[in-house]
Amino acid sequence: MAEPVRSCVVALEINGEQVELEVPARRLLVHFIRDDLGLTGTHIGCDTGNCGACTIHLDGEPVKSCMALAVQADGGTITTVEGLSADGELTPLQQAFNAHHALQCGYCTPGMLMSASALLARNPRPTEDEVRYALQGNICRCTGYVNIVEAVVAAGGGA
Amino acid sequence: MTTVTDQPTTTLKKGFVGQSIPRKEDRRLVQGKGTFFDDVRRHGMGYVHFVRSPYGHARIVSIDVSKALELEGVYGTITGDEVAIHTDPFFEMSVEPGGLIKDYALAVGRARHMGEPVAAVCAATRELARDAAELIEVEYDPLPVLVDAEEALKNEVVLHDDAGSNVVWSGVFDWGDVDTALAEADHVVKIDRLHFHRFSSTPLECAGALVEYDKGTGEWTLTCNHQMPGVGAIWMAPALRVGIDKLRFVTHDIGGGFGNKICLHPQYVVLCLMARKLGRPVQWTEWRTDQHTANAHGNERTFLDVEVGVRSDGEMTGFKVRALDDCGAFPRYEPLGCIIWAQVTPGMYSWRNIRVDFTQVCTNKSPVSPNRGYSRMQHLWLTERIVDIVASELGLDPVEVRKRNYVKTEQMPYETPNGCVYDSGDYAAALDIALDLIDHGSVEERRKEAAARGKLLGFGIGSTLDSGTNNFGQSTLLNPELQFSGNNEAASVKLDIFGEVVVTLGTVPQGQGHETTAAQVVADILGCSPDQVNVRRGHDTWFNSHAGFSGTYASQFAFTGLGAVKGAAELVREDMVQLAAAVLQAPVEAIELADGFARIKDGPPEAALPFMALGAIVNANNAFLPPEFNPTLNHRYVCRPYFGMVDTEKKTGQLTLTYATQIHAAIVEVDPETGEVDVVDYAAVDDCGVRINPQIVEGQVHGATAHAIGAALSEEFVYDEEGTLLTANFYDYHVPHAMDMPPLKTGAMESPSPVAPLGAKGMGEGGGGGIHCICAAIQDALRAAGGAIVYDSCNPPHRVWSMLQDVEKTRANVRVEAK
Amino acid sequence: MLLPEVEYARPATVDEAVSLLATHDGARPLAGGQTIVNVMKARAGAPDVLVDLADLHELRSIGFSSDGRLEIGAMVTYAQLMASSEVDVARPILAEVAATIGDVQVRNRGTVGGNVCVSDPTNHLPPLFAALDATFTIRGQSGERTVSSEEFFVGVYMTAVAEGELLTKVNVPASSGAGDGFAGLTIGKHGTYIVNAAASVSGGAARIAIGCVGATPVRATEMEERLAGGDFSEDSARAAAAGLGASLDPPSDVHGSADFRRHLAEVSAVRAVIQAAGRRKR
Repeated sequence: MAEPVRSCVVALEINGEQVELEVPARRLLVHFIRDDLGLTGTHIGCDTGNCGACTIHLDGEPVKSCMALAVQADGGTITTVEGLSADGELTPLQQAFNAHHALQCGYCTPGMLMSASALLARNPRPTEDEVRYALQGNICRCTGYVNIVEAVVAAGGGA
Repeated sequence: MTTVTDQPTTTLKKGFVGQSIPRKEDRRLVQGKGTFFDDVRRHGMGYVHFVRSPYGHARIVSIDVSKALELEGVYGTITGDEVAIHTDPFFEMSVEPGGLIKDYALAVGRARHMGEPVAAVCAATRELARDAAELIEVEYDPLPVLVDAEEALKNEVVLHDDAGSNVVWSGVFDWGDVDTALAEADHVVKIDRLHFHRFSSTPLECAGALVEYDKGTGEWTLTCNHQMPGVGAIWMAPALRVGIDKLRFVTHDIGGGFGNKICLHPQYVVLCLMARKLGRPVQWTEWRTDQHTANAHGNERTFLDVEVGVRSDGEMTGFKVRALDDCGAFPRYEPLGCIIWAQVTPGMYSWRNIRVDFTQVCTNKSPVSPNRGYSRMQHLWLTERIVDIVASELGLDPVEVRKRNYVKTEQMPYETPNGCVYDSGDYAAALDIALDLIDHGSVEERRKEAAARGKLLGFGIGSTLDSGTNNFGQSTLLNPELQFSGNNEAASVKLDIFGEVVVTLGTVPQGQGHETTAAQVVADILGCSPDQVNVRRGHDTWFNSHAGFSGTYASQFAFTGLGAVKGAAELVREDMVQLAAAVLQAPVEAIELADGFARIKDGPPEAALPFMALGAIVNANNAFLPPEFNPTLNHRYVCRPYFGMVDTEKKTGQLTLTYATQIHAAIVEVDPETGEVDVVDYAAVDDCGVRINPQIVEGQVHGATAHAIGAALSEEFVYDEEGTLLTANFYDYHVPHAMDMPPLKTGAMESPSPVAPLGAKGMGEGGGGGIHCICAAIQDALRAAGGAIVYDSCNPPHRVWSMLQDVEKTRANVRVEAK
Repeated sequence: MLLPEVEYARPATVDEAVSLLATHDGARPLAGGQTIVNVMKARAGAPDVLVDLADLHELRSIGFSSDGRLEIGAMVTYAQLMASSEVDVARPILAEVAATIGDVQVRNRGTVGGNVCVSDPTNHLPPLFAALDATFTIRGQSGERTVSSEEFFVGVYMTAVAEGELLTKVNVPASSGAGDGFAGLTIGKHGTYIVNAAASVSGGAARIAIGCVGATPVRATEMEERLAGGDFSEDSARAAAAGLGASLDPPSDVHGSADFRRHLAEVSAVRAVIQAAGRRKR
């Protein structure tokens, strides 16, 4: 890619599927995921990259998709909340969220699950403090985080 | 004196009600399969961007949309001039002069707050709409800006020429005899000024709607997140000059409301006009910055010239205050805030002599809307500040002063000086639970330990009431001409042909778990499991399961929402029992509903009809039923709580029906070098009567506490003299993140409500207990450093540091006059 | 929230990147995007061309130069700093401070180069690098040059990196027994700083840089002079900090008045020095 372009083809893997689409350079990754690919589980809660509702996994790492351009993800691998579980089979983490009442309106929940699942992948039995640190980039206005932290600790077997 | 009529209560056998069953909503939400309005698409839809005033106050000289219209992909625009032609101003609730304010869907001729929508443009994509907005040229002529409520009273700068005054409403509430109480008191504690600051709950999902117009029927469908569509329609239909049935509100999942999604009618009217004008569906999603600048702050209230009468034995006999409320540029839901506080006039306390001189003004700030704790929170903060200041100035123990002055459980139901009735509760017992959870006995030891580390430790209590089930008749105490009284909520329950139980709600949940709690109630009444009860998500006008005041607000779902569900379920139950009796040829009294069957109690196993059999008979196989017996298995019920009438002269009456208690306690450590406040321990005790789902109740307590802690320590909407909002995003308007929350211990007790259909009081708003106790804890901490008096509800480091630097300035605010 | 039209290029080498930056008007590097995307969303800035540095792997390394200095590539992320054994051995304060920048998501993308090139007065790394006496290597079409912290930070959002140039690495002296400290007041836990201070103490000398009080990090030179004797006790640090606030001209905003910031500067400087002194390896 030598010369600057206004739009280009983005090829990436998302939730195990290959996708190839021409996108404007200015399109945010979160709008690409929601509007172009129709994966509306990833949400938008702010304009300044603070709230984390847009968190997805890019090449295995939790990242705020509103703070990246779609074109930056070319060649990458993305997992969104829709890719966490296979067809209706809730993961232990999702089940823990349900059991511990870790969601009320559910709007921050996809982002929370992405951050929490990334934590559990590298730290299977996190302490409460480690969970809070891992979720610091995800704002919730409903739960006060109490049950969310409890659910993640429980999912890690550390209840 | 108002008479209280007890609502008939049915004792439900404890089955699913009372259990913390996991929520039905969660399955779709944890998979990202929820449907929030921005997830919905329509073929050919356009995206709308609002052009907003950058000025706090300005005359709109001209708007030129021509360049925007030239941009390819732009479908159209709309300006204030068009709005003024095609719509009428929204109806105002206040008396004159406030009632003369003209409030249109877009600024007409004048912009009155930063962020006020001035024009709108619709285009094929979000980005194009945003680009086109940049091409709309608006010429402004800046006007002097008013950002101070006391300045507003002078009427030197007047926001609304039609009203001629900035005063939206003004009146004096006077109960008992406060002048005598003050004259006879042993001490009069005077507080010159207390300030309850401007903040809001900032739900994570912003407001918005997708609006479609049917040109054949003239009906609009709004797929949206309005949390009180009954009232939304009452504003919008006359403005659009159409009948109310032309507006169909459809909600699915909503990402939090907290009262911030009640006054969306101005933007929604713009969308309706554009959908009709452009002949295509139009969609608007609010940006976070727009929500902060232009949608729904909480009421900002200044309390002046407070005087409190106290006897030597610590009994508080009464108080008077001048309250000045700042509602921002347009009243909208106001002036209701000017009376709603009166639901809790005496707070938790038994004083009988209270005078409140209340004025509400407009300023060049974002309009307010009923933010979580609406108007009661502000007033309860006042009463708690009073108690703490009285305690500290008279050398009394804040726990003892509260217990001495609390309304006692033996006095319940307790009629307040203005005719409200506190239905039940044991404040002293709840306080004891809180003190125990926080290990109150160890406070002095912890104080010494903290001091050794250079920190000032403080302990504080915040007692608060979450009043619920609103009597809209209280609006007539502000404006006797208003035709509002009582309250209502509706629900429908039916048994389908295949025996599936389907419930539709009039309420509009935004996370409160209504699908689950409604299923629990219905399951117990019909004798099945909550899994067999399908509660439809969201609200739809066409469900016809709503009433004039339908919505989720005012902490009333457990009363009115579930009351409606209970009523409808009982009607269906009645049908089922009678039908089963007819089919099984048994007396009605012999029929029970259990385990998904209608059967003869203790009868043979074959004398049992599954729900499916009942549904099939009524819907498809009913010829054998006698003509006079017409069960439908499909009932809509309106829960209409009984309040009696209010007295507009004495300004008394039952303004609300249930009172949940929340007692909060906090221990903080203040860093005297930086003013930083660290909450190191926290307890919240809730008593909302019968808890339908204890885990859901506790979740609400957690959430209300987080909102209060954020408000108490960092969340503040601050304006400069130009009317620019300085805290318009989450960097500067800091809300609690996971690491900001203290260790939170919760406790609960249940004082069933004698007036609620299920003994369950409304709850959820919380009453701001966290703000009250953190202010108290900070003041307690500062006793060791000069004894500054906390005067503002928000205490970020810079304010705490200022208080430490100039203790005398805060103390000059308070005087004690002894006999 | 939505970006204006922009062009995008993803070069494969540093030379290609420099060439793109030099050739196109209004071209800006795109590193982690944690600042520039926000700036573009807010329409506070509108580059014409974004030159994505993602493929420039040579800018992602952490190692030691021949003279034992810690070399950090400009595209090293905060998360990489935290995970680096080289950083842990040579200058752990970098990892410690990086661990408080924003949150996990930000740290996975945000870069050292981005943090310093933005030169936002409230950023964490500029005062820290100033206290550590870091140097900055800049590549342009005419070659490479290395500048000091004082020369690098020029003003608000302005550094010595000119148009058509690219920061390639930051060098920090190995600590050799020095102790480093960082203190301040943030808006909420791990939030934006209101005032911060970085200190590096070794032998009988201290380097102290204050952030958030000026356009660029301010060295507390008088305080450093008073501490030159090697007494880093709390009393000595407090005495040395006297007058520091009065020498500053910080901004006033919703989070604090100028006076509050002056006071916080003194408090933070003292705390950073005490922390640094306590971590010296003898």
